[in-house]
Amino acid sequence: MVDKVKSVSEVVHTIPSGSHIALGGFAIARNLIAVVHELIRQQKRDLTVSQGVVGLDTDLLVGAGLVRHLIMGGGSLDRFGPAHCVNRARETKSLHCEDYTSLSVCFRYLAGALGLSFIPIKSLLASEILERLEAGPGAENVKRSKCPFTGEEYVLLRALTPDVSFVHVQIADREGNCQINGPRWENEEQAKAGRRLVVVAEEIVPTEYIQRSPERTIIPGHRVEAVIHQPFGALPTAVFGCYDYDADHLRLYVEHAKEPERFKEYLKAFVFGCRDHWEYLEKLGGLRRMEELRADPILGY
Amino acid sequence: MQVTEGTKSRNRLPDIRATEIMAAAGARELRDGEVIIVGLGLPEVATVLAKRTHAPRLAALLEVGVMNPAPRDTPVGLADSRIFYRATCWSGFLDVMGMNLHRGVVDAGFLGALELDRYGNVNTTLLKQESGKIRYVNGSAGGNDVASLAKRVIVIMRHEKRKLPLAVAYLTSPGFVGGRSREELNLRGGGPSRVITDMAVLGFDAKTHAVSLLSLHPGIRLEELVENTGFPLHIPNDIPTTPLPSAEELRLLREEIDPKGLHLK
Repeated sequence: MVDKVKSVSEVVHTIPSGSHIALGGFAIARNLIAVVHELIRQQKRDLTVSQGVVGLDTDLLVGAGLVRHLIMGGGSLDRFGPAHCVNRARETKSLHCEDYTSLSVCFRYLAGALGLSFIPIKSLLASEILERLEAGPGAENVKRSKCPFTGEEYVLLRALTPDVSFVHVQIADREGNCQINGPRWENEEQAKAGRRLVVVAEEIVPTEYIQRSPERTIIPGHRVEAVIHQPFGALPTAVFGCYDYDADHLRLYVEHAKEPERFKEYLKAFVFGCRDHWEYLEKLGGLRRMEELRADPILGY
Repeated sequence: MQVTEGTKSRNRLPDIRATEIMAAAGARELRDGEVIIVGLGLPEVATVLAKRTHAPRLAALLEVGVMNPAPRDTPVGLADSRIFYRATCWSGFLDVMGMNLHRGVVDAGFLGALELDRYGNVNTTLLKQESGKIRYVNGSAGGNDVASLAKRVIVIMRHEKRKLPLAVAYLTSPGFVGGRSREELNLRGGGPSRVITDMAVLGFDAKTHAVSLLSLHPGIRLEELVENTGFPLHIPNDIPTTPLPSAEELRLLREEIDPKGLHLK
């Protein structure tokens, strides 16, 4: 067996500025917080970021000024508020935004994961989303065309193959076999579309544990380049079956994200002010807080 | 994620809230055995109410990849683990939005709207302020996919003039764009069928595809409705009154479906 366990800082060192990074979070669930904090600490710049429905992870990276191009299908922090940094960056035109829908981003990843160069879809037609894509930075990724068999009108989407896809999972073995508990949004298509694939796991288990329920393995180890072991690695967002979201911290985040100056204070306190994710967890309240957020085994939150 | 806004009570009946009338009206739109894509808030409440009354065999799908959940606690959004509880299936976008919605088996989808215009086009992307400044909001997520592909679409929203303009500031999700048929627009889904607000139930004229008044909620005057609508409404000669929820529907809503009044406030 190949041991692929690495630290988040080691992995992030191998990612050049200008890379296209796909993040597996969704709003306030299973966000790649440990990875994003490290990308910010190491100041990886001019990133392209893609995600089906943006979450706090993407909002952090955009707020830190490291994203040049964003490919997304919309998103918010649910009832905690909008993705202020993403929305502000769009308003001030400080990033190129290719704005799609959840399904069209998922289809672009699916094409990438299948090794196809494009995929047809019946969403987007007759919408301003499509018009803006055709007129803006998405122009080379969408095309209207007819089915060669039936003549039906379609939008063709270019496949999306991120340089590195990151996914946060509940358990993985040291080789990278991953099991995801709960719904998976576009995790599988996004992960398998990546040219490189890195997994962040709450818990590392022996392969024998994976072998007990192999039907639950969503991403097989041979596709995975590295496994980062980081308990509470998605906080303040939730990981089903492991811990709930930290509602207090989400509110604090949204308060700071409203204003660029206050957002800098947030970054200073919770990202630059922490050497690593363990120090950040201490700032969030340490073991006592983690225990409060730990999921009930029946409810999953 | 579909946007659903909270709705303050506006009718003048002392005992029944506008949100309860809306939930019951939403439930009545669903038929037993149908496949529904649900959003959080009132759409979820309406779906559960239908399931508990006349439509026990409804299939309720959430875009993240959750089917038929039976939450014990109130979720804050589609990413909240509370909405995953006791589901019959966990999958993802590709299954729910791809192999169900895109496949053409979803009978009805619920949408929220920041703005909806006379042809049922929905904006959830941005607002233009009077100064001309643009404020971005949540965007489509699955909204455009549902609007494009569900056999019919039900919009639940608050009735305000600025939210019901002649033309939306941004066309996120198509209805009958420019008054054209869905065939002309090359869309597979049937388009919007109902708009349920805190003042009325609205439908779409079969020929012009423009919004028409179907029924006025009890206690709402026609002049109020017209004043609060930013586009010309087709108004029938005889205006029916939206039926009130039954005693049993009210009991289910208040005691079992939303006992804390989080969505029905």
